[in-house]
Amino acid sequence: MEKNTYDAIVVGTGISGGWAAKELTEKGLKTLVLDRGPMVKHGDYPTAMKNPWELPYGDEPTQADIARWPKHTRPSFYGITQSTKHWFADDIDNPYEETKPFDWFRGYHVGGRSLMWGRQSYRLSPMDFEANGKEGVGVDWPIRYEDLAPWYDKVEHFIGVSGNADHLAQLPDGDFLPPMDLNCVEKDFQSKLDGKFNRKLIIGRTANLSAPLKHDQSPQRGTCQYRNLCMRGCPYGGYFSSNSSTLPSAERTGNMTMVTNAIVYELIYDNDKGKATGVRVLDAETGHQTEYFAKVIFMCASTFGTAQILLNSTSTRFPNGFGNDSGELGHNIMDHLFGTGARAMVDGHEDRYYSGRRPNGFYIPRYRNVGTDKQKYLRGFGFQGGAGRQDWTRLVQEQLLGADLKQAAEAPGPWYVSMMGFGEMLPSHKNFVTLDRNHKDKYGLPILNFDAAHQENELMMSKAIIEDAVEMLTAAGYRDVGSFSMKANVGAGIHEMGTARMGRDPKTSVLNGWNQMHACKNVYVTDGSAMASSGCQNPSLTYMALTARAANHAVEELKRGNV
Amino acid sequence: MNRREWLKNMSVLAVGAIAGPSLLAVFDAHAASQKPGTKPQFLNPAQYTLVGAVADIMIPRTDTPGAVDAGVPLFIDQMFFAAYTKEEQTRYVTAMAAFDKAGGKPFLQLDEAQRKALVTKLHTEALAAPKGTTPAPAADFVMMSKKLTMMGFFLSQPGCTQVLQYAPVPGAWHGDIPLKDAGNGKAWAVETSLKI
Repeated sequence: MEKNTYDAIVVGTGISGGWAAKELTEKGLKTLVLDRGPMVKHGDYPTAMKNPWELPYGDEPTQADIARWPKHTRPSFYGITQSTKHWFADDIDNPYEETKPFDWFRGYHVGGRSLMWGRQSYRLSPMDFEANGKEGVGVDWPIRYEDLAPWYDKVEHFIGVSGNADHLAQLPDGDFLPPMDLNCVEKDFQSKLDGKFNRKLIIGRTANLSAPLKHDQSPQRGTCQYRNLCMRGCPYGGYFSSNSSTLPSAERTGNMTMVTNAIVYELIYDNDKGKATGVRVLDAETGHQTEYFAKVIFMCASTFGTAQILLNSTSTRFPNGFGNDSGELGHNIMDHLFGTGARAMVDGHEDRYYSGRRPNGFYIPRYRNVGTDKQKYLRGFGFQGGAGRQDWTRLVQEQLLGADLKQAAEAPGPWYVSMMGFGEMLPSHKNFVTLDRNHKDKYGLPILNFDAAHQENELMMSKAIIEDAVEMLTAAGYRDVGSFSMKANVGAGIHEMGTARMGRDPKTSVLNGWNQMHACKNVYVTDGSAMASSGCQNPSLTYMALTARAANHAVEELKRGNV
Repeated sequence: MNRREWLKNMSVLAVGAIAGPSLLAVFDAHAASQKPGTKPQFLNPAQYTLVGAVADIMIPRTDTPGAVDAGVPLFIDQMFFAAYTKEEQTRYVTAMAAFDKAGGKPFLQLDEAQRKALVTKLHTEALAAPKGTTPAPAADFVMMSKKLTMMGFFLSQPGCTQVLQYAPVPGAWHGDIPLKDAGNGKAWAVETSLKI
């Protein structure tokens, strides 16, 4: 037992787990960091430097790939390419059930989805933390913006976020690296939206280094090279991932022990102590079972990964899942409305272009139900988009062949602009995931069954997203304005959250205001499952800030002897 | 210390006491099993020759390399061999047979001018098909071959670097500059895909 005993255990190495590992080890805790998948060290990005012609099959999935990833190749997702498919969990070996269709896109390796994330980094605002309480939706957040603001500062400073200070109440500014430029059509759209609607279009805030970091803690991170191949992993360290950033910091402390291929399937609860004492782990390769012990446990296995482990951890104290006195564990699934928007062609600007490939777009922050605007639905949405000049694919439908076709392709095409809505989804007890004990995966572990759907508020908002996008592009004077709507289930936004929510009352929530389990104070949950509401902003930055804050709290509580 | 040295140092940092095989090893094994062929595997020799002749009409060699120089026929073969469905395979082969009959005698027995005229005529016919419908098989073959030729060519090294312009590591982003200052002023090569 002694050799398997640590001060802290962190389950998962993604966006949240990397931060937990860094903070706990830097504060001196001997920390065991577990990941269910194989090791990916910074630099182990096998396709990162490949040119288009070095990727087989035009970088498209083969029939063999589609057979291996039947869910990950759904229309709402783009990750199964020759250059990125190795980052995604095999659907055959890792099944789940869908009472209602659910898009669950996963990366089972060290770094998790921090390697493939979209990098958009936005703070929630005071309005977002207050909305549940004011409107009587779900449960009131037990914290307010001011509680998290210093932790947002800390995270942004460390990871490096490029962005502009835009002075918007609904999207607080942060500690930014220089913003990336908008192109000429984006600037045109910006000024028209401002003039006609008083709505703001800003450059996206992204965790790519537009300039060197303002600290010297991450010498392995270089500036963005504007290749826009981030999802393959960046050998320059140009964007934030656990692999390029938090895990190397944790490693340098000498306090981290990492075990890979370690599937945590259960938390161990000690009735006498009234605490969790450790975790039970299955080796993904050998099936060998091991128990590890620690004073404090951080669950950072991702929203559904954590829910799965907690639901599977039953005992006389927790017959319905670990920490589940409220009956809310696995419930209140949220994601962001995804897949609808509009595009248009833009005349003129033929003498302007750009160079480099910007790994970022524009953002139109939420303007619905903000200030004096009042809609029949609650909350709101933002748009992410970009403008550019059309590529050679435009010539397929042109009367051009041979040398003429070749010559026409040399010239940049006309300008287009395209944007997609990301809408807030309300928490609802009716959206939930359960463990199906009759259906097990190849490790013998019960799999998850999803039962979640967009409800009335989301459906109203979905319609508004399209109407607003079309209205704005039309008012800007652009032509051939058309909406799009791809087939996207809940989960398609890959912003899943809510299954172990924070709250003030143990009867209606799983975690307290420090991400600590109401029912078991030495277990912290700091991934997306902690979220009490979703906002419409990309959530990863908030998970990082919550994790850093919780880790600080855990260390203080350990010192005080409270956990 | 330069970047290469840094990366090397990073990768030898001992991360943890216990480590299984890395994802890199898994990737290498998988990549080896999926390596594309170097000879045609889907098209028979006659079909392969015909596809090459059509691709050459679509994007010929000019002062820059053409589709055949860029390996487009093998690209098309490999897409059908590995990437496309059985239905797509059948559609292409059936359409090819119809195309081969459309010129009065087999396509490869036509002279250069006749070949071009036939492809041009069927291309026009395909473009005239109402949106959302599939053109008649012979025209469908021309349109599918056009898309495949463009995809194979504009993702190839000659296509990216000699017809378009390509910067593997741009190093900077300039969002709003005069066209003449954007490299050599040609369209940037981008990664994109086309549905046949």
